[in-house]
Amino acid sequence: MSGRYAFVLAGGVGSRLCLLSERRAKPAVPFGGKYRIIDFALSNCVNSDIYDIGVLTQYRPTSLNQHIGTGRPWDLDRTRGGIQLLQPAPSVSASDWYQGTADAIYQNLVHLKRRRVDEVLILSGDHVYKMDYNVLYAFHRANRALLTVAVTEVPQEDVSQFGILETEPNGRIVGFKEKPTGPVTSRKASMGVYLFDREALIRWLVEDAAMSASSHDFGKDIIPRLVARGEGVFAYQFPDYWQDVGTLDSYYQSNLAFCSGQPPLDLHDPSWVIHTQSADRPPVRIEPGANVRHSMVANGCCVAGEVYNSVLFPGVSVASGAVVRDSIVMHDTVIGAGSVLDRAIVDKGVVIGRGAHVGHGEDMAPNRACPDHLSNGLVVIGHGARLPDGITIGRNARVGASVVEQDFHAPVVPAGGVVDGPESMH
Amino acid sequence: MRRVLALVLSGGGGERLGVLSAERAVSALPFGGKYRVIDFALSNCCHSHLGLVGVLAQHAPASLNDHIGAGRPWDLDRRSGGVYILQPYQTRSHTGWYRGTADAITQNKDWIEERQPRLVLVLSGDHVYRMDYRIMLDEHDRSGARVTMAVTPVPASETTRFGMVTMDSACRVVAIDEKPAMTKGTHANMGVYVFEWELLREMLRSRPVDLVLDVLRPMIEAGEKVQAHEFSGYWEDVGTIASYYRANLDLVQAKPRLELHDTRWPILTRDEERPPVLLADHAHVEDSMLANGCRIAGTVRRSILFPGVRVAQGAEVTDSVVMADTTIETGARVSHAILDKYVRVGENASVGEGDGSGPRELDWLAGLALVGKDSWIPPGGRMRRPSAIGIGGRFEDFVDGVLPPGTVVPSRRWFEELPR
Repeated sequence: MSGRYAFVLAGGVGSRLCLLSERRAKPAVPFGGKYRIIDFALSNCVNSDIYDIGVLTQYRPTSLNQHIGTGRPWDLDRTRGGIQLLQPAPSVSASDWYQGTADAIYQNLVHLKRRRVDEVLILSGDHVYKMDYNVLYAFHRANRALLTVAVTEVPQEDVSQFGILETEPNGRIVGFKEKPTGPVTSRKASMGVYLFDREALIRWLVEDAAMSASSHDFGKDIIPRLVARGEGVFAYQFPDYWQDVGTLDSYYQSNLAFCSGQPPLDLHDPSWVIHTQSADRPPVRIEPGANVRHSMVANGCCVAGEVYNSVLFPGVSVASGAVVRDSIVMHDTVIGAGSVLDRAIVDKGVVIGRGAHVGHGEDMAPNRACPDHLSNGLVVIGHGARLPDGITIGRNARVGASVVEQDFHAPVVPAGGVVDGPESMH
Repeated sequence: MRRVLALVLSGGGGERLGVLSAERAVSALPFGGKYRVIDFALSNCCHSHLGLVGVLAQHAPASLNDHIGAGRPWDLDRRSGGVYILQPYQTRSHTGWYRGTADAITQNKDWIEERQPRLVLVLSGDHVYRMDYRIMLDEHDRSGARVTMAVTPVPASETTRFGMVTMDSACRVVAIDEKPAMTKGTHANMGVYVFEWELLREMLRSRPVDLVLDVLRPMIEAGEKVQAHEFSGYWEDVGTIASYYRANLDLVQAKPRLELHDTRWPILTRDEERPPVLLADHAHVEDSMLANGCRIAGTVRRSILFPGVRVAQGAEVTDSVVMADTTIETGARVSHAILDKYVRVGENASVGEGDGSGPRELDWLAGLALVGKDSWIPPGGRMRRPSAIGIGGRFEDFVDGVLPPGTVVPSRRWFEELPR
């Protein structure tokens, strides 16, 4: 039996995630109460029996490196195969930084040299879904395809955010438009999951690398070219949940969806466990007088206040009298007594003083610094920020990473306001 | 570098724990919402930088083997040192069940000798406590004692549970009384000893059975210097239903005496990957500990829930310990109960009704309802306390849907019920 090999593209900048991906690549953004986004792709791999993986990083890889480590949680710390982090490196023949997704693979073709695989699986580390890649392999082989692209149906209003494919009834792709602005007849969006014939992939990448007009991207360049040439390129329609948590709003909503009685993905399925790096934390402690409903709360949390429709990552503490509503609170954040959080996304290690009110009022003025991403009423607090006692923060406000009490010059941050500290990068 | 070998005594079957220890060693008993009891001793070793550990197992050793494995959670999967499970074995000349604590060590004398320790730190795997053994080892080296033993103060009302230690003003041990009703001793023996291996090896020549009765007591009587090391932190022997239940419920007190959230001394365990706790719309949880993987739609008060427990809407769990993957169905009530793993409490059933008073011979149940692994409490069934159901309890155990107080149902073997 020939083995299998997967590249996971994990260089995503995730600029629409605002502060959440300021200091970490998008695949490393915390998700679902204890996971990182990349855990879904990696767990899908090992659950599909793929134990040989290269992860391509570029943008702020530190937190990814730390998260993946030797690959222990996924049983990827192996003698043969396992997981390898592939950072761009300066070289004689090629340009150094990865230009596009195709260039990233092109610069790592050396890793295919000695691998006896018939196909190469290329995934994105940015998406939340549970997929058995065995089904994709079977589909690919049954069609004798040179490339199979996994697709999912997206709502009509979202088609402009994706690569949209048109197919014949047998699945063969006959049209491809990257982020179409005009009208399209199809709602089949590329999931960024590609299964290539190994030889064809190498041939096509070499060809593309020689084209100076190409931006060396699978979605923008390679797939449209192959489709136009009439190569054997097929679409596999994936029937289940798939989410690109690309924007703050979609990040917020898809996290909260897990608090409901009908979560979009069953995380409790013992036959398809989503693995992650988890520290040893004691069970959740719920103290006298606490009230926690419609929420997801991870080990290590201590709750004495009220939590409603929220996701608490490991080690969060909610003091008595505090109220956390419709919010996402990441690891080890401390919420002081009597504070209120309403529609907030709070990064790791934040300290919120007593009696603070985060997400206050009716004023929905969009954020001054990033009006495009922060206009629907969410408040975002960056990594390690410290909020003083009694502070009031309006809707669509943004508090930068590592901001300290002295950076607040007034007791109220108005709607759409921005508080940046010395370390803020905007 | 001090050459220390830690020996964890984990052979005990815990006769006083009933069905909880029928198929597991006391050391492998689930505790505190996600741990096993032995995690405390192993985590103490890890944090005290002791990298060579032998675990002496005898009763239901598979439960310990599964849990400890290569010792990864405690960073004991090492090339030099590491954790070893030492089970009794046969040779051509003898069959070697461990007859007692000292005998267990004697039977592993060659294994210990190969590792050439200077000091042997003897521990029990059945105790819940957080202790830096380095302090005791330092004290041992300073005092020049032949043996140092850890002791902890206990109330005079509880002396019958412990080996009581009498010391002089310089903390030198003058007597050890086993479970005395009356004693001058104020401190309990914690079962933590530092021995000079050379000395212990000599003592083992006479084939002693018990470490206290046949080794320590003769040494004290012979005037050898046995020093006490006082430990004032939380320490609990969970060898009885009453102490097991109390130690668990202590964790949901307003200020628990055992600190589990201390990031400098985390209790390490073999963790399953489970999603965060899910609390549904109608959930009501107070004074409780819930581990990842729990799904709660009902009410939980003053209880400890292990991973994967499900409490359906309208169900209520109070003052109870519920182990992994047990399900409490709609409208069911559980109070003053210990439910082992994979139990199913049917709709509107009730476990732990009553005031807990029962016949004297059931005193070991401490007035609780005790339900063994894989049992199924029938819908609407009423299990009154004190009572106990063995592993694999079924509907037939209930007469007209009721299990009266004072009942003890023996365990079933799962394969006896398979269709022929």
